[in-house]
Amino acid sequence: MITNSSNISPSYTITCRMNHEAAALERLCQVVRIRGFRIAKMAVETTDGVLDIALTVQGARPVAMLQSQLEKLHTVAEVILTTPALVPAARASAASRTA
Amino acid sequence: MNGAQHILEAFHCHNIQTVFGYPGGCIMPLYDALVDDARVEHVLCRHEQGCALAADGYARASGRLGVCIATSGPGATNLITGVANAHRDSIPMLVITGQVPSALIGTDAFQETDVLGMTLGIVKHSYLVESADELPGILDEAMKLAQSGRPGPVWIDIPKDVLLTETTIAPITTPAQPQTACPDLTDVIALLRAACKPLLYSGGGISLAHSEDSFREFSECSELPAVVTLKGIGNPGKYSTHNLGMLGMHGSRAANRAVDECDLLLVIGARLDDRATGKLEGFAPNARLIHIDADAAEINKLRNAELAICGDLNAILGELTQALRETPLAVNDWRKQCQTWRTTGGFQAADNEEPLAPITGPAFIRQLSRVAPDDTIIACDVGQHQMWVAQHYQFDHPRHHLTSGGLGTMGFGLPAAIGAQFADRQSTVLNVTGDGSFMMNAQELATIRRYNLPVKLIIMDNQCLGMVRQQQELFYNNRESQINLDDNPDFVAMARAFDIPALKIERTDQVRRGIETILAYNGPMLLHVAIAREENVWPIVKPGGSNKEMIDETRRSAADKKERVA
Repeated sequence: MITNSSNISPSYTITCRMNHEAAALERLCQVVRIRGFRIAKMAVETTDGVLDIALTVQGARPVAMLQSQLEKLHTVAEVILTTPALVPAARASAASRTA
Repeated sequence: MNGAQHILEAFHCHNIQTVFGYPGGCIMPLYDALVDDARVEHVLCRHEQGCALAADGYARASGRLGVCIATSGPGATNLITGVANAHRDSIPMLVITGQVPSALIGTDAFQETDVLGMTLGIVKHSYLVESADELPGILDEAMKLAQSGRPGPVWIDIPKDVLLTETTIAPITTPAQPQTACPDLTDVIALLRAACKPLLYSGGGISLAHSEDSFREFSECSELPAVVTLKGIGNPGKYSTHNLGMLGMHGSRAANRAVDECDLLLVIGARLDDRATGKLEGFAPNARLIHIDADAAEINKLRNAELAICGDLNAILGELTQALRETPLAVNDWRKQCQTWRTTGGFQAADNEEPLAPITGPAFIRQLSRVAPDDTIIACDVGQHQMWVAQHYQFDHPRHHLTSGGLGTMGFGLPAAIGAQFADRQSTVLNVTGDGSFMMNAQELATIRRYNLPVKLIIMDNQCLGMVRQQQELFYNNRESQINLDDNPDFVAMARAFDIPALKIERTDQVRRGIETILAYNGPMLLHVAIAREENVWPIVKPGGSNKEMIDETRRSAADKKERVA
């Protein structure tokens, strides 16, 4: 899916806390993809059966939709969206290759 | 008891009496436990897709949890279409599959598939059970989750060794969460009172929330002109004088006109699906929107709401009814205008007076609607017949109309009718299908015969994939491609091969007698209805077009010319 149709690609940082169960990260990543975003950066820490995930995602669609869909996942306890920042398309493109 | 026996015990504790399934290697411990357990009625379908769709039909007709069971590998993959169907229409379903033994997961073992991975996008939630001691908690949580909030399918994948392992933990039945307090509706009521042309727009969320009675009371009390989505058909009842019918691609001209002109759209239990709204830019252009739904993620997803309320629809509708009962809305001019549109732009189909004339789809459905008992449940398939049922059958309750709305699954109707008949043994259950859809799950005729279900099957046979043909005619310069089904089997002979009596009709003067014959028959029966190949569903909005640009038969040639120029 092409989510970056202009020279400037919106980029968002999301932190998410969810249960560390089978397929937890796959479930999260699939929602990000289906709702029209690409993961540019991802860091995961595990503590006592809980995953703390820091995501940088890029996409042209309203990020609030992604947030509400992530919050809907049964094992997601919290989703925090930081203020969106704009990054140049070239940088976004390079970053997406790291996903 | 072992894990398999525990599952049956949990079914009993959660009052699950009927399940639909198909045995196989890794789920065999559960089937072994079934031999000694008479409390659970297991319905053996003839394909796992039939199991899932029957469980779906059971849930839709009853409002209870539908349960389906299959083995690993192909058993699980065959369930997927049925589970996706339930997911798209928010149907409460519990799916249980066997998995290869824990030690073999990831070794490409016989009949191993990554069920958890491949089904993430079609479930509300899913589990891979790692020990028998996890089963009680998972089963309880899964059954509650499937039925709470916005319902949906929950899938539990259980390795064979877990099914065989002993557990001493008893089934868990935690009480349901108490309903939260009704949200403040002051602003909703103020917006309603400020509107000159308010319109009620309801969908499948009404029955999913078990709020049919609250909705009916609100609708009658408010006297709001109303439109319904495909899944909301039946919400206002067949006698409502304010119902303008279904909106959208094959909606009534009256419903789409009212949406176009209203200044306030009160959306309850609906998700503003593209088949209903048409092109969003042209949808309800003059309206402020109030969106009331159980699922917060639906708010502002496709159209921004001026006011959004999430919560228990029963409580919300009750409060709204109370407020409007005390001070009714003063919108009589708008009500009169909508009544005029209802008279002139509702679904209309002339009864064919010529006895030897070919049968037309809309006239047949109208006759069926007149003759069938009030408690009739109709399970449709997907295509032209589905839209004729939606347009021309008068439903008095949303649970009487079982239709695959979100996924549009051909082959849904026959197994869904089986599920509905198990949910309600006394009601008349009809599967209205097309010749294309019928062949997608025709093996379930054997299930009907095995359990001697009095399901009536009506095949509207135009010897083609009618809806695809219609769109090829209207939007692809009449270039027919792979829609011809004129080599269909003899459906009457086919039914008889399953020991199901059948008859065929092809003229108008045979319609009433044909319908009355199958309805009166004490057992399953099939009616093969030959209809014209060229018949279309009217009106239609071009996919991706605005609902204002409805095409009906009289405008067909003009639209055709325009299309050819384009």
